Amino acid sequence: MIRREVAIVGIGQTAYAKALPGTAWELAIEAILAALADAGIDPKDVDGLCRFAPPFETVSEPQLVRALGIRELTFFAESPLGGEALGAVIAHAAAAVKARLASTVVVYRALSQSKGGRFGRADGRGPGGAAPATATAGADPNPHVVVAEEDNRSFAWPYGLMSPGQLFALWARRYAIVNRLTDEDLTQALGAIAITQRRYANNNPNAMMRDRKMDADDYRNARMISEPLRLFDLCLENDGACAYVVTGAETARALRDDPVYLLSATQTISPYREPMGIYVTGELLELFPPATAARLFADAGVGRTDIDLAEFYDATSYMPLRSLESYGFVPDGQAWRYVTETGTGPDSPLPVNTHGGHLSEAYLHGMNGVLEAVRQLRGTASNQVADPEIALVGAPAGSAMILAR
Amino acid sequence: MAIIPAATDLTRPYWDGARHGKLVVQRCNNCANHWHPPLPGCPHCHSTDLGWQQVSGTGTVYTYTVVRHATHAALAGHIPYVIAIVELTEGPRIVTGITGCDPRDVRAGMEVRVRFEAVTDDVTLPYFEPASP
Repeated sequence: MIRREVAIVGIGQTAYAKALPGTAWELAIEAILAALADAGIDPKDVDGLCRFAPPFETVSEPQLVRALGIRELTFFAESPLGGEALGAVIAHAAAAVKARLASTVVVYRALSQSKGGRFGRADGRGPGGAAPATATAGADPNPHVVVAEEDNRSFAWPYGLMSPGQLFALWARRYAIVNRLTDEDLTQALGAIAITQRRYANNNPNAMMRDRKMDADDYRNARMISEPLRLFDLCLENDGACAYVVTGAETARALRDDPVYLLSATQTISPYREPMGIYVTGELLELFPPATAARLFADAGVGRTDIDLAEFYDATSYMPLRSLESYGFVPDGQAWRYVTETGTGPDSPLPVNTHGGHLSEAYLHGMNGVLEAVRQLRGTASNQVADPEIALVGAPAGSAMILAR
Repeated sequence: MAIIPAATDLTRPYWDGARHGKLVVQRCNNCANHWHPPLPGCPHCHSTDLGWQQVSGTGTVYTYTVVRHATHAALAGHIPYVIAIVELTEGPRIVTGITGCDPRDVRAGMEVRVRFEAVTDDVTLPYFEPASP
């Protein structure tokens, strides 16, 4: 159990944009130095690094040890599965600090889609920046694309299931099927999330969509990408980096008056499941078992009504919708109605993705949601929730954390 | 230009089956469970005495999406197309495409049957089409 024994003492980020001049390495350094400056920690004193595993995170530990002048890195760990590493990376940092394997752990995520390939394209680079499908050699002017077997990809790509957005469209359609929603019901629900998040972004100076208003007509009239998902149901593709610094609670209190404590963190893969869910033997919508959410809250020692805001990983608008149910804020099958009637805006019982999320701030594999939760708990967010004490940051398949001031 | 799977020792019987007009899934010779995609051992009893079982090729649409935006140059000429997860009558689910009907006519729960399509001289993919036209 982690409850309040470690804290986030510094956060840092780069600008977010469709294309930034720096490499992912340069962006990582910029974000990490900003986080360490925010914490008041000398970069030489960093002794731990936690990151998203390749192929997602391309900036390596040795690159950062050299660039930052770290004296000795005593702990480093990588977590797989893209956005589902979100809770794992901080769990590893916290475990390392508690076990005294390291005292000052930096967690980072740097992304240069302008140089490394857009996640929405499968030619050039694969889903999530994974290895490309390779063209056959030889003189054939129109070669076939041969898909190597890796994580069942050779059973999916030949049918044109090649990008995350298409996969999440299968999830969203399943949600409509199970809950007997009409296309109009689902459009209303997904649109409510996309539009609410855009409004948050319109008041967030960091957001790529700060100056781009979107109303219901804009949402509906956008082109269909992979039914039922339209253009604005899908996240942005961008460059940028985020970092935060984890230390023991006592160190954190010595460094600043407003550390943000980690109450609990979860990572999960349960039997016969896989995070993307295609081949689960049970219900596709149950990407993680209720026991995981129960453990997240029990370890934190808080209940659902104690949570003041949530930052849900949103590669698509469907994910926050279902996460409201998976994490237990709304009963199964009711979030579609909840988001249209109660909503997730600034005056709702549970504001969600107050920075605009991946749909409208920027896409950083959930890390910008962690930074937003820290700003909210410090009281320095641009869409500040009134006096929040506890925040949840979570990905759709159960990788999550609960933070408190 | 087709998008084709590179078979491994583990997956080759599936693709060989398709080339011969048979839809097969891996099964455990010890406890008789079956599953898809293939695994090195049985996830239930952990036996490595595994075989392949031909299935009926019928099933229902579990979920689907009509893709209207190509994410790979090889797909540019195929838009719109339908990706589906089909639940086989025997239980396992497979990722496939639905052909043989207008994409707008695909529905959840629709009964479908396998339809083998040779995409190259060497590779045949199992697609599905409506069981009743």
